[in-house]
Amino acid sequence: MTRPGLVISRISRVLSDYENLSALYALLVVGGVIIGIVTLPFIGYDDDQLYPKTLDPSSSLHPYDRGGEPFGTTDVAAQYPENSPYLGYVTAYLTPFSAFLADSTMHLGTTIVSHPGGITDEILYNTRGLDTVVETSILFVAFAIAAYLFRREE
Amino acid sequence: MFNLPVTNIGGSELFVLEFGDIVNYFSVYTAALFAFALIFTALAIVSRPEKMVDIAFGGDAYYTKEIDPGLLRFQRFMAIACGLATLGAVVSGDVFNFTLFVSMVGITNIGIVAAYKNKHVLNAAFQYGIVAMLATVPLFGGAAIVLATTGTLSLWELYTAAVAVPLIAKIFLVLGVMGEGMAPFYIAKAEITRAQGAPFILMVHVSSLLVFLRVVEIVISM
Repeated sequence: MTRPGLVISRISRVLSDYENLSALYALLVVGGVIIGIVTLPFIGYDDDQLYPKTLDPSSSLHPYDRGGEPFGTTDVAAQYPENSPYLGYVTAYLTPFSAFLADSTMHLGTTIVSHPGGITDEILYNTRGLDTVVETSILFVAFAIAAYLFRREE
Repeated sequence: MFNLPVTNIGGSELFVLEFGDIVNYFSVYTAALFAFALIFTALAIVSRPEKMVDIAFGGDAYYTKEIDPGLLRFQRFMAIACGLATLGAVVSGDVFNFTLFVSMVGITNIGIVAAYKNKHVLNAAFQYGIVAMLATVPLFGGAAIVLATTGTLSLWELYTAAVAVPLIAKIFLVLGVMGEGMAPFYIAKAEITRAQGAPFILMVHVSSLLVFLRVVEIVISM
């Protein structure tokens, strides 16, 4: 149904329909991507990366091998090392429960990887710990929404 | 120890909260946004829309509305989660941390809207969901381009004049935040004051507004 009107009222009629929302957003993103392609030659990769990553296909941990030496002291790059005085000490990041287990039993070492403060997540839990907390919260909220929508009665 | 390199929005920092490499800051600007988010989160916690009554104008009559306590309980939970995510987003001192909080705001907004059983609202929620899902690509893509081209994610470094952030990263960040917080432009305005669960619907608007104000500060300062 098309009604005559000023250009602006026709535009606002299209915008007010939420069925057009994803198309409108896709249009904006396509515009952004075009600008990105045009400016691509002027964008360079910065070699001085704070969080370097190298891929080693021969490693058994590929592609999650972040380097470093398990149970040793590893040099970890940090933006603000003064905020992370225990940088590089893997076992410094035990949760209170894990610390309790470590103090009371001799067997925590066998499950260190599955604990917060394990080996592979060391950099996440140390210098960027808040990110890990938020990621987990997003998952939790998403599951809560899915569970509510699935279980509600019709 | 920390001095905000750019002080043209909100002045220098008042208080700095350190989480390792993520250094959150409260300037006058971000502290004001934080205070707003805090007030509306408190409102979502204390409001009791379950006891809503309508009084007929010009008479003694009043009638109670049909209330679904389960729906309001879930919406209160989502509104509080949304408020907490907004609190984190408006003071975050790190691009990736900011994008994570923004995507959490987007997901909780979808949760608030999608909890209704009204067919029109659910149709709209479906569209918001598609847009919020799409918006994560430019949002995290923007953060990834920032990391690749500058080698850091900390706003404290990015705000310095020596570090140049490409235009496309800024465009992607704004597009991502727009997508995650697009719901307020389309939700029926009557819902805000009349529907059950109105304080929680209000949270959708407040969080999107505050997150958008924050991304404007980040993009201008970078």
